[in-house]
Amino acid sequence: MINFHPTDKQLRQFAEGNISSAMALVVAAHCDMCSHCQEKVDEVNVELAQDIENIAAHEMTDPAFEKMLAEITAKPMIDTRPAIVPKIELDGRFFDVPRPLRRYVRNTGNWSKLLGKVWQAPVDIGEAGAAHFIFMENGGQVPEHTHRGNELTLVVNGEFSDGLADYDTGDFLVMDNEHIHSPHSNNKDGCLVFSIVDEPLHFTSGLARLLNPFSHLFFK
Amino acid sequence: MLVGIALENNKSNTSKPKECANEMSQYLVAVASERCKRSYAKIFGYFAPRLRSYALKQMGNEALAMELVQDTMSNVWQKAHLFNVEKGSPSTWIFTIARNIRFDMLRKLQNRKEDICSDDLWPILCETTADQNEIPLDEQVTLEQVGQLFNHLPDKQRSVIEAIYIDGKSQQEVADQLSIPLGTVKSRTRLALQRLKDMLEDHD
Ligand SMILES: [Zn+2]
Repeated sequence: MINFHPTDKQLRQFAEGNISSAMALVVAAHCDMCSHCQEKVDEVNVELAQDIENIAAHEMTDPAFEKMLAEITAKPMIDTRPAIVPKIELDGRFFDVPRPLRRYVRNTGNWSKLLGKVWQAPVDIGEAGAAHFIFMENGGQVPEHTHRGNELTLVVNGEFSDGLADYDTGDFLVMDNEHIHSPHSNNKDGCLVFSIVDEPLHFTSGLARLLNPFSHLFFK
Repeated sequence: MLVGIALENNKSNTSKPKECANEMSQYLVAVASERCKRSYAKIFGYFAPRLRSYALKQMGNEALAMELVQDTMSNVWQKAHLFNVEKGSPSTWIFTIARNIRFDMLRKLQNRKEDICSDDLWPILCETTADQNEIPLDEQVTLEQVGQLFNHLPDKQRSVIEAIYIDGKSQQEVADQLSIPLGTVKSRTRLALQRLKDMLEDHD
């Protein structure tokens, strides 16, 4: 069951389009999995559309409008093709991803072992942030770390815990420099998450600290 | 002239939003099924001026506002078949198209090289655009690799790195612990990190 949702404010900013690309992507993917939040966004859309309808209509005397109308209706209709549904593959297992992430499946690089039972595959989203699919096998653990910027996470499939809470498929998490956590999964089938960070992680314990001078290499 | 006709209709419409929504839905269906320009002109006459006011407020510039109106209303014409009356009213559909176009326009204006576009975020106008330019991603470094390389460091450098990055000691504390000058700790750290970096690069 989904327990962690974007705030109402984040959902409103998402509906308005006044939101960073990285945040928008993770919120969009969450809403695709969470009908509760999708309904809230739909409501805001109706409200915002109403605002536009309530604008007192200006006179249509501007000749620019007539020219525009003629130009538009001279254009051809555009057919749309049904989208193919790409899946994320890891070791012969295929995972469905929420619709907003589907285009990025093609932009996903190879899986590499981060450590023991944790795998990561980089996802190219340009300068919007450093994105990865991360898979924790049963018993897999990401070393304890904190964040210099924001870490946005969506649980795509499975369950994990991080010492702060337990998360389930569809949960939406925002972590910043006030959170120290060490994600791990004790789920039989492991856990697949999608994550975007705007700054490299800062590892806080054990051997993983060695990674800090190089943490940018994880996120290039 | 068609535009003038549409405007007359608006005035009776504004007081009855529901009837207006039904009417606009029917026009959209006519555009989708018959490419009916007359129906489209009614939709245009009602929404284009309102969208311009919205766009002016959002973009603060007449030329950009008109670009936003034109792109939005082009989509309404070209993709009218994607409007689904069961999913919402014409005004909501058209607002979401305008919101998406504004989102992309703002990012283009700011010259951001982000590979996230509104079609992914709000798949109202779902169609897959084939983008073949896949960028190869560099090999990633793993903790295990760093661990192995770490073992290749000379003992003196390794003990300094261990104390700083694993035990979390300051450089001064390390100097005191190993009874060596602070400058030596600093130079060993620098050399060790450089060496690790070189090894990581060779590794690729
Ligand atoms: Zn939700």
